[in-house]
Amino acid sequence: MPMNIDDHDDAGLEKYFDSARRTAPLPSETMLARIMADAERVRAGAPSAASHRPLKTRLRDLLGGWPTMAGLATAALAGLWIGTGLPGPVPGTGGPEYLVDITPEMAFDLALGDD
Amino acid sequence: MPFDAMEDLPDEALLARFADGDASAARILTLRLTPRVMAHAWRLLGNRTEAEDVTQEAMLRLWKQAHDWRSGEAKVTTWLYRVVANLCIDRQRRARGGAVTLDAIPEPADGRASVADAMQDRARADALQAALDTLPTRQRQAVILRHIDGLSNPEIAEVMGNTVEAVESLTSRGRRALQTRLAGRKEELGYADEH
Repeated sequence: MPMNIDDHDDAGLEKYFDSARRTAPLPSETMLARIMADAERVRAGAPSAASHRPLKTRLRDLLGGWPTMAGLATAALAGLWIGTGLPGPVPGTGGPEYLVDITPEMAFDLALGDD
Repeated sequence: MPFDAMEDLPDEALLARFADGDASAARILTLRLTPRVMAHAWRLLGNRTEAEDVTQEAMLRLWKQAHDWRSGEAKVTTWLYRVVANLCIDRQRRARGGAVTLDAIPEPADGRASVADAMQDRARADALQAALDTLPTRQRQAVILRHIDGLSNPEIAEVMGNTVEAVESLTSRGRRALQTRLAGRKEELGYADEH
């Protein structure tokens, strides 16, 4: 099969590419040493693996691990329960209680409503 | 792991070992990747000193990237080709020109059977480099990656952030331009009797 012009030219170019591959510059020993020294500097100065853990994990460890986290969770739940519980009379005061009515008009409306 | 066994590990695994503090992984990666990175930088820039600077900077960025490397997203070599191209383009923007000088021409990579062969190889490589230097940056990059570094078109597309079709177009136009520029030099470079 005859070779067309493009095939012929590509074959010619390939010889140039071959020459380019064969004459590629090689890095000097000095340069390789510089690059390895850079790697060592990065390795030595890199933050420890601990700093690459997720924030949640680091916070947990900072507070003292799972036992502390469990104690904190219990305290938080207890606080929520106390805070949302309905107020009741304080037992054991004995004497008359001093009340301040800050919305007397509301009391009047309620009284009318009751009728 | 013994050093010899580590030499068989892929680049990504070695980079992970480096991130875990293994200095010998860096040594293997340096010896494996630096020649390829430097040759690519030299072909893009046509200047050895600048190519060495770019190579060192690209490798430094690789070391710094090691901890955040996401395995499976890209090959180390693809990432490096991209970094080298960006660094070279930055340099070329800063200093237009950059013709190949005698000082910039590298020493031959290997011992040749004959001095005449070596000289002819050098002459052809220099002629190709001079022709490459006249191509637009992205055409030059695509031709070098395809025809000298031997990457596939999809790999080149990933390096250049292009479509495969665009890469094919760039390499095709680049080849034609090189053929035109080198056509007059065949006899001079010893191709007159080769068909």
